[in-house]
Amino acid sequence: MNDQAAGNAKRARFQALCQALRPDLLRFAFWLSRDHSVAEDVVQETMLRAWKAQDSLADEAAAKPWFLTIIRREYARTFERKRFDTVDVDALVASEEPLLAAEEAQDLAELRRAVFRLPDDYRLPLVLQVLMGYTTAEIARELDLSNAAVLTRLFRARQQLRVLCGENTRSDPE
Amino acid sequence: MTIVCAAYRRSILADPRDADLKLRAHRDSCAECAEFSQRVARFESRLARALAIDLDAAAGAARPFRARRAGSGYRGAGVGRRGWMALAASLTMAIGVAAGLWLAAPRASLAADVVTHMAEEPQAWRSTDVPVSSAALGAVLHDAHMRLTAKAGLVSYANSCLFRGHQVPHLVVQSDGGPVTVMVLVHESVPAEVQFADSGYRGVILPVPGHGSIAVLTRGAADRATVERIAARVLGAIVWTA
Ligand SMILES: [Zn+2]
Ligand SMILES: [Zn+2]
Repeated sequence: MNDQAAGNAKRARFQALCQALRPDLLRFAFWLSRDHSVAEDVVQETMLRAWKAQDSLADEAAAKPWFLTIIRREYARTFERKRFDTVDVDALVASEEPLLAAEEAQDLAELRRAVFRLPDDYRLPLVLQVLMGYTTAEIARELDLSNAAVLTRLFRARQQLRVLCGENTRSDPE
Repeated sequence: MTIVCAAYRRSILADPRDADLKLRAHRDSCAECAEFSQRVARFESRLARALAIDLDAAAGAARPFRARRAGSGYRGAGVGRRGWMALAASLTMAIGVAAGLWLAAPRASLAADVVTHMAEEPQAWRSTDVPVSSAALGAVLHDAHMRLTAKAGLVSYANSCLFRGHQVPHLVVQSDGGPVTVMVLVHESVPAEVQFADSGYRGVILPVPGHGSIAVLTRGAADRATVERIAARVLGAIVWTA
C-alpha cells in the first residue's frame, strides 16, 4: 500500500470510529449541557477538533475518554463565551420537554427531568458512570477528584434523584 | 439498620455494580438490605434507560414543537442534523475520502451500540488460555437464567454489563482465530441475522427465538465464516434455565 492509500484507510477508520461513537457522545453532551442544540453544536465542534488532532489518539480503545475530554473543553468554551449568569433549570426542562418525555418512554420522563435538576457536580459523575460506563477511578481522573469524593457525589446524586422521583427513601442511609 | 447496613446501602447507591466483597456478603445475610438492593437495581435499570435517550429519533418527532429558550444566543435549531451533514460533506470533500461513511445517517443501531460497548472494555480482549473462575462465570450466567455447556470452549472473561438499560452477560470465548466476544441480549430482538463490520470489529447478531438475540464479535483478522461458525457453536452451547 502506498502512503496515500494508507493515509486514506486510516482516515476512513477514524471516520467510522467517530460515527460509531457519535450517538453516545451526543447523549453525553446533552446531559452535560441540558440543551439539545448546544449538544449538537458541541459535538460538531468536537468532531472537527478531533479530526484535526486524530494523530494524538494513540489507542482506539481509548477513543471515548479522549472524545469526552474534548467535549467537556468545548462545552466550557461555549459556556464561557455565552456568559450565562444563572441557569434557570425550569426553563431548561420546559425547553427540552418534548425530548425528555418522548412518546415511547413516558415512564422515564420524570426521571429525566430529575436528572436535569441535579447540580453539575452530581450530574456529571453520574452520567459518566451510568451512561459511559466509567469506573470510579476513571471518573476521578477525568474530573480531577479523589475516589472518595467521586463516590460521595455519586451517592448524593442517586439520593437526590430518588427523592425527586418520590422513591421510598425511608431506609436510605444518611 | 446497623452500621454495616448503612455502609452497604451507601456503597451501592454510589456504585450499584460494585460493592466490596464483605459488604456483598452482608446483603446475602440481611433481608432488609437484600430488599433495598433489589429496589436500587430496579431504579438503576430505569436510570440507565432514561439516560440512554435516543436524541436522533426523539428529535425527529420533537423538534418542530421546540421552543427556543428566550434570549438564547445559540445558533438556531436548524443546526442539528443538517449542520452535521454539512460538516460531514465538507470534511469528506476536503480530505478526498470516498463519500458515504459520514453521510450514512448516524443512528444508534444495535450493532453500533455493541461495537461501542466493546471499545469500553479493552481488558476483555486478552488472548489467553486461562479460563475465568467458574464462580464468576456461574454468577453472570445465573443472573441471565442460562448455563453454558463445555461445547462453548474456553471462556476467558465473564462480566455482567449494563447494556441498553439491562444487565447482560458479556463473555469472551477463545478460538483458533483469537478471542471472540459474545453478548447475550435477551432484551433485544432482531428479525433476522445482522452482519456488521465496523471500527475494526466484525460481527454477527443472531436471533434467538424466545430469548432475544446474541451478538458475536471478533477483532482483526477473522473472516465472516469464522464468526458465523463460532456464533453457531456458542448458541449451541447455551442452555436456558428459565
Ligand atoms: Zn443490612
Ligand atoms: Zn461488557
